Amino acid sequence: MVSPVASAAQRESGRSTSSASTRLVAAALAACCAAACTASGPRSERSSAAASPQARGEIRALAEGEQGFAIVAGKVLTADERDQVFEPGLVVVRDRCIDYVGPLVELPEGYERLDAPELFAAPGMIDLHSHVQSGGWGDLNDMVISLNPEFRSSPTLVPGNESVRRACAGGITTLFGIPGSGTNNGGFGVLYKTRCESTYDGCVLADPGGMKVAQAYNPERGADLGATRAGMAWNLARANEIALAANRDGRDHFALRNLQKVHTKELPLLIHTAGPACHTTIDMWGERYPVRAVLSHGCFNGWRFAPYAAQVGMPMNLGPRTFDWFSSREGQVIGTPQRYEQAGAALISVNTDAPVMPQEELALQGAMGARLGASSYLMLKACTYNPAKSFGLEDKVGSLSPGRHADIVLWRGDPLDPRARVERVWIEGRLEYDRERDGQRF
Amino acid sequence: MRSAAWLFALAPLLAGDVFAQEGGGEPPAGGEGDAAGADAPKDEGEWFAVVGGDVYTGTGAVLRGATVLARGGVIREIGHEVEIPEDAKRLDATGLSVYPGLVALNVRGVANRLGAGDYADSFDPYSQNLVLALAAGITTVSEGSVALKLKRGEVKGVVMRERFLSTLGYSTSAPRSKGELDEKFAAAAAYLRRYRDWEEQKKTNKELKEPPARGVDPSIRAILENRTLARFNATTRTDLLGIARLAQKHKFRPVIEGAVEAWTVADELGRAGAYAVVVPRSRRDKSEELVRPGGSSIENAAILHKSGVQVAIQASSTFIDLGGIAGRDILHLPIEAGFAVRGGLPEQAALEGITIVPARILGVDHRVGSLEVGKDCDLILLDGDLLHYQSLVQYTVVDGKLVYEKDKELYYAHIRPRPSTQPADAPEARRDKGEEEVKASDSEGEDKPEDKPEEKPEEKPEEKPSDGASDEG
Amino acid sequence: MLLRTFLSSLLPVALAASALAAPADLLAIRVGRAETVSHGAIEHAVLLIEDGRIVTIGADLPVERGIPVLERPEWTVMPGLVLPYSRLGLDGRAGAEFTPEVSPAAEVLPRISDYRDALELGITTIGLYPPGNGVPGQAIAIRPKGDTLEEMLIKEGAYLKVYFRADARSKKMVKDAWAKVDEYDDKVKKAKEKWTKDQEKSKSAKKPAEGEKKDEEKPADKPAEKSGDAGKGAAKGFVPPPPDDKVRPFLRVRDGKLLPLVSISQAADWAHWLDAIGERKFDFALRVVMQRELDLYYVLEEVAKRKCTLVMEPEITYQIATMRQRNLPAEFAAAGSRIVLIPRGEDLDSHAAWRVDVGDLVKNGLERKTALDALTLAGASVMGLEKDYGSLEKGKVANLLFLDGDPFEPATKVMAVMLDGEFVHGEVRQ
Repeated sequence: MVSPVASAAQRESGRSTSSASTRLVAAALAACCAAACTASGPRSERSSAAASPQARGEIRALAEGEQGFAIVAGKVLTADERDQVFEPGLVVVRDRCIDYVGPLVELPEGYERLDAPELFAAPGMIDLHSHVQSGGWGDLNDMVISLNPEFRSSPTLVPGNESVRRACAGGITTLFGIPGSGTNNGGFGVLYKTRCESTYDGCVLADPGGMKVAQAYNPERGADLGATRAGMAWNLARANEIALAANRDGRDHFALRNLQKVHTKELPLLIHTAGPACHTTIDMWGERYPVRAVLSHGCFNGWRFAPYAAQVGMPMNLGPRTFDWFSSREGQVIGTPQRYEQAGAALISVNTDAPVMPQEELALQGAMGARLGASSYLMLKACTYNPAKSFGLEDKVGSLSPGRHADIVLWRGDPLDPRARVERVWIEGRLEYDRERDGQRF
Repeated sequence: MRSAAWLFALAPLLAGDVFAQEGGGEPPAGGEGDAAGADAPKDEGEWFAVVGGDVYTGTGAVLRGATVLARGGVIREIGHEVEIPEDAKRLDATGLSVYPGLVALNVRGVANRLGAGDYADSFDPYSQNLVLALAAGITTVSEGSVALKLKRGEVKGVVMRERFLSTLGYSTSAPRSKGELDEKFAAAAAYLRRYRDWEEQKKTNKELKEPPARGVDPSIRAILENRTLARFNATTRTDLLGIARLAQKHKFRPVIEGAVEAWTVADELGRAGAYAVVVPRSRRDKSEELVRPGGSSIENAAILHKSGVQVAIQASSTFIDLGGIAGRDILHLPIEAGFAVRGGLPEQAALEGITIVPARILGVDHRVGSLEVGKDCDLILLDGDLLHYQSLVQYTVVDGKLVYEKDKELYYAHIRPRPSTQPADAPEARRDKGEEEVKASDSEGEDKPEDKPEEKPEEKPEEKPSDGASDEG
Repeated sequence: MLLRTFLSSLLPVALAASALAAPADLLAIRVGRAETVSHGAIEHAVLLIEDGRIVTIGADLPVERGIPVLERPEWTVMPGLVLPYSRLGLDGRAGAEFTPEVSPAAEVLPRISDYRDALELGITTIGLYPPGNGVPGQAIAIRPKGDTLEEMLIKEGAYLKVYFRADARSKKMVKDAWAKVDEYDDKVKKAKEKWTKDQEKSKSAKKPAEGEKKDEEKPADKPAEKSGDAGKGAAKGFVPPPPDDKVRPFLRVRDGKLLPLVSISQAADWAHWLDAIGERKFDFALRVVMQRELDLYYVLEEVAKRKCTLVMEPEITYQIATMRQRNLPAEFAAAGSRIVLIPRGEDLDSHAAWRVDVGDLVKNGLERKTALDALTLAGASVMGLEKDYGSLEKGKVANLLFLDGDPFEPATKVMAVMLDGEFVHGEVRQ
């Protein structure tokens, strides 16, 4: 074990890698104790409503043929609904799911145990705005007609491509691979895991995972109906009305089948919008067509509509821009996550819009939000629980919680800190990345 | 001058036998730099004291609660028992971390010229980018072939050194240039041998004529005489290897920019005494046909450092980006250095990679790049660890003058204002749980005063536990 | 002269001279309010005008019978507007030459309507500057009325226009100009040495002359003969060699006789200007070219420390890259600088809106008394005319602007204009 406070000599020398990182984690652990007794640090398991076995501090023995392992980490950031932090903490995985998260308890036999007192365990991160499913810039939009609700991104998916592998090494385990913003409605994206060696079926979480709409800037380009925001609004409204009518009549409209599911709230919707168009977006998809919409980008001076977004309760998926300078012309470097946080916006998440930002740098997006004024814990949630919740996936991914996918990342320090490298990543209980085994990919 | 040599001795250096002289950045006697006259400690000028901060000198030392005292823009004393003259301007650094001003290589659009002519005639000492760079902790930059001090409101003494680097082309894709370069070095070396012989023989035979310098490339000669450094831009393993061999053969220290695949030939570069200018996050996929290591690696800086290469860190983009993307431009140089740490570079080496190493590459390390007596008083004060993502520069001092004060300028004043400038219950002065304290306690924070009110992050109603177990904010 | 002495002796009893004593051209004007600029506002003011000048001004002064009185209690009077920086009526163009000796006088075309229009708006003094971006020459001060240039001309060499930008060319021009001054000084010094030596020679030869050193070092800008002949020179004292035409203006600058008005457009220009002039001590004023975004707020204190007057348009500008408005004239004034506000353009509309534009700055924080000064006395001062122009004071030229209300209110109209004691505009019947 590492002593809670590194000696001054160690701090000051900083000569070796190990002393530097040890210092960081040791300090972090010490800080965590402080957090525990003040803010909402680790909570007693008795506060848990469900009287699960883990509430009694028991872990089931593995049944015949069951696989399981346990991680003892210096600090476990669950990022769950109750913002639990355990330090040290125990995460137990059985088969593909998490079975136990909490303080250290005795392990029944059969579990492989990994001791990582110097590491942080956190849920795999989620990026809802990503275009690297094909491995690069290709296959983004059809670019012929502006409305393509019949399309899906899933045929463009190349499982385990280079971007995906690096993303995995950056602690990102779930991606929403979506069409580009070149057309008004690009179609439906695919939710998939960043498994490094995988078949299509082995990595896809949901197809279609949700719809993609673009309402400002990129799709305004002439050629077809919908060259203006007015035209786009009409296009979208018309398609919505046809889909809604089909839903009322109980018809299955071949081309609008998935759009119909958006209106029945079976599928979520991610909207590319920014600047003043944020208002149009919130009005259309938050009030006139109340679907499960997530506003994406929200950049430039879109933050001016943060109170409106908060009032409507629309989840915000911010990035790749994390600050505004030019649009507001206030002379301030305005951290957009901070403004949305201040306005009380629901469910703030961040994105990379990869490959606009490298996919593996999602955590940096959170760090930059925190640098420019948002709270760092919110930014951790913005990479984990909040995007999951925004898309209705919180029972599967985005937090370390019993019953959820065993998508677990071991970090050498604060996950938001660029200095903290990822040591191991499990996706659904399988070790997908091991820095020592695979070499450091990021 | 003395301090520069001493620093050099500290730097890890393998195969040091290549170098007869020490101090890569030491200006030549009667050199071309205009800096030579400005570096002697002055016995005049205003006193300036930075009092009570944790001083990271950049040479490896940390003095907690120490004072840096300067006069006329030059550091006179650093320590705990520093007597501060009555008339000294004081800057209270209590609770802050003090670092040397950062040195950013190859930037664009920071030190702007407004019209035709050189910096002395048209430098814009009030430009927005200049202030933003100071706000990012950068006090020295190189633009083009010029090393510049980021002075604010002053137009004198901006240029620290010109054309210290001599750019050479070397590429395996142009084999002829490769051969020619080798010949040029050989010719220049032969000439220098003749010249030295002549100098020796002249002592006895005054009639002897100086050997003709015809056909000798003056820039190569300057490199071999250590008046300038040779700069290469090379990415691939083969080019890097070629440069390393060339440098070993002709005994000069190359500065290699790009250096993406340098980690694959780190030993050779170490033997050549190379400087590498790396962007830790630069990406280059390995060619799929190759079996041997190749492509970019996040461990590049760390591996080079371990092999004795002096590593300077450059940001992903070379300009100031106000378009909304954070974390990649020169305003985030320490963040970039953080990625080198991620790849295994020790934090001290990461700090040197954005301070003293680039200063050496520019030949200005006798003036900037670390906090030492006799050097320019260029320093920055942060509210935490320089490499932490939430640390912001609170004050920047150049030549012993306060040139940036976060809470008094629009740019970042609204972000985590310091308690002294904002009532403690201000809404923005919130404290995060969890990770932010990593930073706080990293700087001996166990006894840190609770200057920020306890406040937990906003939770949406639906996320609140129904049993009322949540803490009240 | 006699008349004035006579009048001033009467003044203690405040215009109580007998009707007989009142000369025919005396005129008393009683108005509701007078903005004197120099001494604040006077309610119920009475002005006595004689021989083109203000003889006296005061509140509720009794006027002796016999002196014609213009009763206008609903009017406000203020000094005629002084526009020191203008190209009104001129259309010459020039490049970026160094021609400090040039005057725009040759360009002036008397009797054109531009001047009459200006006069009817209350603009009674105008400074015309030569065109060009280098050091294009010296401004002249004119009254906007007259059939000939001579009638219009008030002063030549009102100021020296210098166009300065942070670039090599501007800096070289300034440095070269001063180098020429040094060169000339050196030449004078050498000539003096030679003259002294020659004197001593002739002294030893002849009897020493009396008082020969009395008036040595005459002002260098006066054309003088070369003191080649020692014998002749001895009789007159040392006469320095005449300076070159391009050097003479800078000698006047050095001696405080000619004020450079230096045009800058951003803070960097200021920094480089200071760098270019180095340690030399001389007075100068600044012409600030107002742009939408202006960063001169960085140098407020430095400029104030140098005590230079600024000539600028009454405009609200923006902090660089922001929508944050800045009232730079007010900020400069608050920092301690004197400001001159000039119309935003050379056209009639801009001249007509001048007072109201200044009024906008007053509504945004500029002090009213500063604003009045900026329209009148400060401008006169830049041209070295403050002794005779720019305020309502005893002895000053009677250039008066009569308004039917507050000078800064948009609805206020010009009722009459007096130039050199004569009404040149307005329906004025006693």
